[in-house]
Amino acid sequence: MPELRKDPVIGRWVIIATERARRPGVFLDSEKNTFDDGPCAFCDNQDKEIFSVRPYSGASWRVRVVESGTPLLSNKGSFNRKAHGLYDVVNDYGTHEVVIETPEHIANMADLSQEQIRMVFETYALRYSELEKNDSFQYVIAYKNYGYAAGSRRIAHSRSQIIATSVIPFSAKEKLAGAKKYFVYHERCLYCDMIQQELQAKIRIVAESEHFVAFTPFAPRFVFETWVMPKKHNCDFAKGVVGYEDDLAGLMKIVLTKIKVGLDDPAYNYVIHSAPFHSVERRAGKDSGTKWKTLAEDYHWHIEVLPRLTRVAGFEKGSGFYISSIPPENTAEFLREVKS
Amino acid sequence: MSEVRRDPVIGRWVIVESAEKSMKPADYDKSVHALGQGAVCQFCNGREAQTPPEVDAIREGYAPNTSGWRSRVVPNKFPALRIEGELDRRGNGVYDMSNGVGAHEILIETPHHEKNFADYTIEEAVNVIKLYQNRSASLARDKRFKYIMIFKNYGQSAGASVEHAHSQIIALPLVPKYVAEELEGAHKYFNFRGRCVFCDMIQQEHQDQRRIITSNDAFISFCPFVPRYPFESWIFPKNHNSDFVTMQDQEREQLAGILKDVMLRIKTCLSDPSYNFYLHVKPVDYEEKSYHWHIEIVPQLTRIAGFEWGTGFYVVRTAPSVAAEYLRSAVK
Repeated sequence: MPELRKDPVIGRWVIIATERARRPGVFLDSEKNTFDDGPCAFCDNQDKEIFSVRPYSGASWRVRVVESGTPLLSNKGSFNRKAHGLYDVVNDYGTHEVVIETPEHIANMADLSQEQIRMVFETYALRYSELEKNDSFQYVIAYKNYGYAAGSRRIAHSRSQIIATSVIPFSAKEKLAGAKKYFVYHERCLYCDMIQQELQAKIRIVAESEHFVAFTPFAPRFVFETWVMPKKHNCDFAKGVVGYEDDLAGLMKIVLTKIKVGLDDPAYNYVIHSAPFHSVERRAGKDSGTKWKTLAEDYHWHIEVLPRLTRVAGFEKGSGFYISSIPPENTAEFLREVKS
Repeated sequence: MSEVRRDPVIGRWVIVESAEKSMKPADYDKSVHALGQGAVCQFCNGREAQTPPEVDAIREGYAPNTSGWRSRVVPNKFPALRIEGELDRRGNGVYDMSNGVGAHEILIETPHHEKNFADYTIEEAVNVIKLYQNRSASLARDKRFKYIMIFKNYGQSAGASVEHAHSQIIALPLVPKYVAEELEGAHKYFNFRGRCVFCDMIQQEHQDQRRIITSNDAFISFCPFVPRYPFESWIFPKNHNSDFVTMQDQEREQLAGILKDVMLRIKTCLSDPSYNFYLHVKPVDYEEKSYHWHIEIVPQLTRIAGFEWGTGFYVVRTAPSVAAEYLRSAVK
């Protein structure tokens, strides 16, 4: 019997369609993840450097952040809003940065050393803190598109992206609202409760480190979707990750390796979800911190890893319902058993 | 310069490319949708025994489950939800769940294996719409179902696993998230202004003209100001109506005409792309008058990346005014 399950944060229902798992060619849609040969735009990159990690001044870089050559948003000019009849419009004020994760021509983050991955997460955190200084930015997201099906170009060089926006994105609002609602009612963090329940139940755990846990969510959008969460409560990625970067890098390497080895190197995305910029000093004089007074207590930063094995069809696009052909308990068990 | 636009109904922000820098139809790297001409499958005429027994059909003078039909509806052999049982809501710690009660049907639109919706006769398109209505009305009588979702996947990259022209109907025990968000947005707007947000949108689009694709007496089609996908196209009844099922003959013919027309424009302009379309109608037993049913058509041209999954922000590289212009001039 299929099951309907509700995401406890945003209330999205998904269908866990167990019978369909037997359908032949269930991952027929996922093409082999291929890359182009030829010159790499990131081995020899001429884009404007914003930041780099170098062991000492003048040394060659280990991680490099550059302006995107095809930015979705740009910070030229200043933020402005206008109306267009019924519609609200703002200009494209924001930033779009590319994090070149290694000087070596390596495609998958799973194949980087733990030390290299640690430097990538340290870089994200530094960029978040830097971007927070701009009062017009409300939200920053770091994410990765690996492989063509995940929205990337076919260039085999590991990289990720950071975007700062002057509005709070829709999905972030939903998560924040859901977490806040739970907090108002229970006076506890929903994510902390979720982590506790998952650690007790064990059936959806993929891997665990001292400070982080990776599990498949109860109501996933994608088969083999995996969430990585800090055990210690913190709403803010840049502040919460400090001191735990190496531990996180180790767990991310394990999770990404399990996905690579177990699922034949599929395309994937990962996304860091963090609270919008909210510091009291920042809000003072603007709206006096009236928004999200409990934000620090009710939100919990985390990473979503989304393997791209199936296509999104009309039902999902039209309804927002997702269908998973394998229960997350089974995908977790599968990933647990893959050597990493 | 690109723009960040907010959907007036649900509040989603979307990044829309400027008209000058917009991607043209040929710029999209899409997998060519080639149909296997002359192929035969379980949905073809004469193979009725290979499908589960039909639940409805448009046929003249022939017995059910024999050949001679124009369109037929059969249960899905691989249903996402099961028809048996009652909804049993239960909890487990922070989680809520229920068993997966619902109906999942396949509407085989035509006996011709290789026919595209764009090339249907008016009569063929009317048959499909009539069966959408029949099945909606019939499934709505089952008290367990709260919403009837009708959608179509065309082409492998739009998620179709069967080539033969078909739509799907899923009866759900819950109102789906996107529809619930639209209902809530429309309800809020109606309470605040005493008008339908979609009627206002239609009026603004009609005055502006730039995003209009085509229209007839009863329907209007335009590229939404805040799309999620490039070349996304919507079809609305001009008159306020929340209920799709009550549509009568004349209106049905008009809908068949405009749907077929828009599909032909998309096929011509974007070289027969994969696509999805779906109906957004009111839930079963929804008494409120603030909703306005419509069809959303989404050509499959792009790959959703981490930014979209993570933020719900969509990035659309063709301005809707540019897309509408291409679609307007695709068919004279």
